[in-house]
Amino acid sequence: MSRYVIIRVATSLLLLVATSVIVFAVLRALPGDPVITRLGSTQGVSQETIDRLREQLGLDRSVVAQYFDWVGGLLHGDFGSSYFSQFSVSALVGQRIGTTLELTIASVALAVALAVPTAVVAALRPGGWVDRLVSAVSSLGMAFPPFVAAIFLLIVFSVQLGWLPARGWVPLDEDVGENLRHLVLPSAALAAVASPLIVRYLRAELIEALKQPYVRTAEGKGATRGRVVLHHALRNALLPALTSVGLIFGYTLGGAVLVEYVFGLPGLGSLAVESALRRDYAVLQTVTLLLCAGFILTTLVVDLASRWLDPRLRTVSADG
Amino acid sequence: MAELPVPAVTARERLRRLPRPSLLAVSAGILLLLVVLVLAAPLVARYDPNEQDPAIAFAGSSWAHWFGTDDLGRDLFARVLYGGRLTLLIAGGAVVVAFLLGTAWGFLAALRRGIVDELLMRSADALMAIPQLLFALVCISAFGASTLNLALVIGVLLAPTTARMARTVALQEMNRDYYAAAVAYGARRRRLLLAELLPNTVSLLAVQAAINAASAMILEASLSFVGLGIQPPDASWGTLLKEGYQFLYQRWEYAIFPALAILLTIWMLNVVADQLGARSNRGRA
Repeated sequence: MSRYVIIRVATSLLLLVATSVIVFAVLRALPGDPVITRLGSTQGVSQETIDRLREQLGLDRSVVAQYFDWVGGLLHGDFGSSYFSQFSVSALVGQRIGTTLELTIASVALAVALAVPTAVVAALRPGGWVDRLVSAVSSLGMAFPPFVAAIFLLIVFSVQLGWLPARGWVPLDEDVGENLRHLVLPSAALAAVASPLIVRYLRAELIEALKQPYVRTAEGKGATRGRVVLHHALRNALLPALTSVGLIFGYTLGGAVLVEYVFGLPGLGSLAVESALRRDYAVLQTVTLLLCAGFILTTLVVDLASRWLDPRLRTVSADG
Repeated sequence: MAELPVPAVTARERLRRLPRPSLLAVSAGILLLLVVLVLAAPLVARYDPNEQDPAIAFAGSSWAHWFGTDDLGRDLFARVLYGGRLTLLIAGGAVVVAFLLGTAWGFLAALRRGIVDELLMRSADALMAIPQLLFALVCISAFGASTLNLALVIGVLLAPTTARMARTVALQEMNRDYYAAAVAYGARRRRLLLAELLPNTVSLLAVQAAINAASAMILEASLSFVGLGIQPPDASWGTLLKEGYQFLYQRWEYAIFPALAILLTIWMLNVVADQLGARSNRGRA
């Protein structure tokens, strides 16, 4: 067990380092000079000004030195400063990370809350009409890119019914009610796409679990159908399905980028889009790495948690 | 005299006995129909997709304009059909790039094993941890949003997933007798790859191609949506969706039609991938 944990944590760290190298290398390899972009055009700007700015941003040093500057800074909590605005990257990220976290957590929670009962009902009678309906609806749900789902929701709830705001954001600590009103549509858009994935996985696990001998034993002891399904089968099916939640967190984090953009939410995703459009690599590389770290960390935690919770997995070899 | 009741179910019964087309056939058929419609756009659409007529801006659906018109009075049906050409061209190009790159990557890893395998697959993992959209945004803003660049960038982004899949199926095939036989009679690496592995894995790689096509469409639509895709006056489905989104309060149907086109195509691609996957698994069991 402990050997597995060490190996798993070490591979995650290596993966994170590899990701940081790739993100950095790609951003440097691309054509387009951020200094020139920032100054608008080189015409009328003296070489001296360009050089000074380049030195200020640390862009005059070698690429390898720049990489270590960046990573070294990150490890000390210094994220550098934006090429464009005068803000530090930490300030920009700090302003926005809360929104993304809230959105991601709300979406995954909503997706799980929708998916678990649906999967249970579908698995009770595999092949029945409920099951087939659930399969059809979730197959359609999976086809929605999250931002397309967002547009459908906008049309119904903002344009037609006028119930919910189409754009904007109110922070949680300012006004809880308004915050939730602005959170509903974005998280529903992400959950609409994520929950079919969970339904699919959990349904298959449940059907498998309901075939197990312990289910027959429980039935033989006279347990009610509800108790057999919820107490025996569901508990055993949820654990393997937990691994899919890690994946879904990553998926939601990726989908949140455009959903934030559609709803004008001040999150990491919209910050990333804005900095990519402006070629503000200082911000972009850090935000991208943070999103990657979020994904890698969730996968790690889910992996370790499901091993800890489910003794059946512990017999599997460390690299399996 | 009591008459025998005439069986009332005959019509229903007859319907039930008709040979049922498989889900795969239906979804592949719908996809084919979409492709044909889009390719035949000049024959189907009665208007030039870029021809403006401000007098009929934001017109509703009618016999003349099935999907109505946009903010500049352009026929939306024609724009969706012609937009499909760009979308399918980019998605198709990306699928080819991802297939060539990903298969080479995955097969090489499977054949070499050891440190090469480890390096190739770890780099694929690292690439897969990075949000694809951000990567695509950066590359397109640096290289410019031409059809070719979009297909190339999206194809490269889909290559690591394809490589994973290609490696897995190659390793499965390499455990089979025919492969061992080919190795035993001294087949060269080139023959092993092209004559043994490729033909036997092609059905599973086709599944991956369908998944890739769906992902490519999502990426293209996302890029166009933030303004880094096909540039006006030309429009892909993503560009149309972005334009429609801007006029949501004037005419929400504007956004619905391109959204439905994207949705239907991705849905059918997913179903095809599912059914193909289930079939080749059954064939193997």
